[in-house]
Parts: sequence; C-alpha cells; structure tokens
Amino acid sequence: MFVLSPLDFLHKLRVQLCRPAAAEAGWLPVTQSVRHGSKAVTRHRKPIHILKQKLLAVTKYVPPTPVVPKGAYPSERQEVKEESGFVLLLKRELKKLFQDYKMVAVAQNCNSNAEDMRILKHRLHRHGIAVKFFPNQVMCSFLSDSVYSNMAPLFIGPTVLFVSKEPKVKEMLTSLRSSPQMTLLGACIDNTLLSAQGVVSYSKLPSVSVVQGELVSGLAMMTAHTASMLQRHPAHLSALLQQYVKQQSSEEAPKAEEAT
Amino acid sequence: MAASSKSAVVLKAVKKIAVQFCPFESNVRSTREFLLFVGSEKARSTNMNCEVITTVKHDKSEPVVDVTFVDGERLLMKGAKLTTREMLSAFQSRCTAKDPQAKAGVKK
Repeated sequence: MFVLSPLDFLHKLRVQLCRPAAAEAGWLPVTQSVRHGSKAVTRHRKPIHILKQKLLAVTKYVPPTPVVPKGAYPSERQEVKEESGFVLLLKRELKKLFQDYKMVAVAQNCNSNAEDMRILKHRLHRHGIAVKFFPNQVMCSFLSDSVYSNMAPLFIGPTVLFVSKEPKVKEMLTSLRSSPQMTLLGACIDNTLLSAQGVVSYSKLPSVSVVQGELVSGLAMMTAHTASMLQRHPAHLSALLQQYVKQQSSEEAPKAEEAT
Repeated sequence: MAASSKSAVVLKAVKKIAVQFCPFESNVRSTREFLLFVGSEKARSTNMNCEVITTVKHDKSEPVVDVTFVDGERLLMKGAKLTTREMLSAFQSRCTAKDPQAKAGVKK
C-alpha cells in the first residue's frame, strides 16, 4: 500500500470536484471559474462604496460664510514675514555692491539668448564691467531701506545690472548699442541718480582733469588781467579809473531822473 | 501678471512699433510688460522685418505705444491708465483682423 502525499490527495480531490459527470463524457471545460475576494490596496483609484459615499457627503465640512467678502477690508494684523537666509545674503551682497562699485546701471532686456548674453558679458568684461542679476523683490526692499530709494521704480520686469568700479560709460553705451534688446533705464554713478539721457550726456563730458584745468584757467584769467592792468603805466590806469567814475555817475543820473 | 495671451502675438501685418516711456514714473508697468510681449522671440520670429524701437525719456510724459501697420494704419495706445491685457487684446484683435485676410486669400 502506497501512502498518498497530501498534495496528491488534494489534487485528486480538486480534479474530482471540478470534473463532474462531464469528465466521463470525454470533454474538459474550457474555462474554470476561480472565486477570489477583491483587494483593498489597488494601483488605480478604487471606487468608494455607495454607503461610504453617502456618509462622506452627509458629514462633509461646510465652512461658515464670512459676513464680509475676503478682499473687502484690509487685514487688521500686518503679517511680518521673516526674510529667509538667502534674501539676507543677497541684501548683504547688494550693500557691498553699492559700496564698492561706483557705477551701477540698470537695463531691461526683452529677450536675449544665452548666446547674446555671453557675447555681451565678454565685451563688458574686457572693460571691467560686471553683469549682475538680482530678484526684483529683494532689490526693491533693499532700496527702500537704503539711500537709493528713488531707483526702486526702475526695477520692473526682467532687469540686468551693469556694475563697474570705474565709471566707463562710453564703452558700456557702445556695447549696449550692439545688442538691440537691451534698453538702458538709468544709472547711479558716484551716488548720483541719472536717467538714460543723463548717462549719454555724462559720457560726452570731458575728463575730470580737463574740467579742472578749464576752471583754473578761467579763474586765473581774471587775476592775470588785473595784474597786467596794474603793471601798465600809472597814467593809463588813472585815465581808466576816471572813465569808470564818469560812467558810474552817468548811470546814476538817469536812474535818479527815472525815480523822480 | 501671468501670460495672458494663449495665442502668440502675430506681427505679420505690423511695420513698426515705437514704445516710449519714462521709467521713473509709476504708471509705466503695463507699457513695459507690453514691450516684453511684443519684443519676445516668439513675436519677433513671426515677422523679422518689424522694428521694435524703444525710447527712454525723463520728462514725466505719458507712456505711449505707436504701432504702424503695413497698410498705413496707425494705432496709438496711451498706456498710463491701461492694463497690459487691454493693450494686448486691442493690439491682437487688430493684427488678426488684418492678418487672416491675407491668410484666407492664400488658402482660397
């Protein structure tokens, strides 16, 4: 007598259960229905049972309607947002920027590819001008606290900062003219705010030494003239003084007549 | 203000766009945003012959957008009290009014 293993026994039992009298007829059923329960965790969204749906609909949270619509009145408490570390870092950088760099120019770029930006940056770098980008919000909040608050309305839309230690305006203007999409809005040179036209006229100014020379020569001319007059013959000088006194008296006489 | 134009700006019927504004004024935002839309790559690629000229002034004047179309019509928009959306919709409606005439003629 051979011992049937439990698996064989179950297999035979299943086969016997699944194959009723039809097995003797000689055909096997094509489909075998296997019952199994539905899973709880599915990959798709399982449709909620109707009873649960009804319960959720009945017990749904309905917030109370505000008497006053939300945007009608300003909020009583002013929310003071703490600035994140990144914003503080940017502000520190801006502070250093305004201290170190003499010229800070603001331009708006409609659209420039990376290629155009690269070429422009290269051109400006040759003259020692750096190109900086800062977020407008940070910029505006920094400017409103600092001395340069009048620059704040310039920063709308995509803006670029051109900064340099020496105010090299001519070179900057020539490089900007070659890129049509950059529009110069204004500049802060030597702590003076200039408009676009102001920048152009600044570029046309002669250098500081030339202006100083002109001023000195203008002042010196008066004194030189006086010195040369005094060095002339004293008779000439006395004649000049008499003429001057006559002119003064003749001017006073008509004035007195007009008054009377 | 998010991009309000679903259809890109088509500049085929436009000859020249002249934008002038004073950046130190406070009513300039809509004009500057209009300039951004019109000067963008997408818009300019529709018509390479169209010139976009920007003038930056400092005389407290109102921001003005002067559009010259190909058939000689001029559209003057004073952007002091207009929003970007209004300016764009007015501009686009006129552009499309002039443009599909040419397109429909070509299709037929």
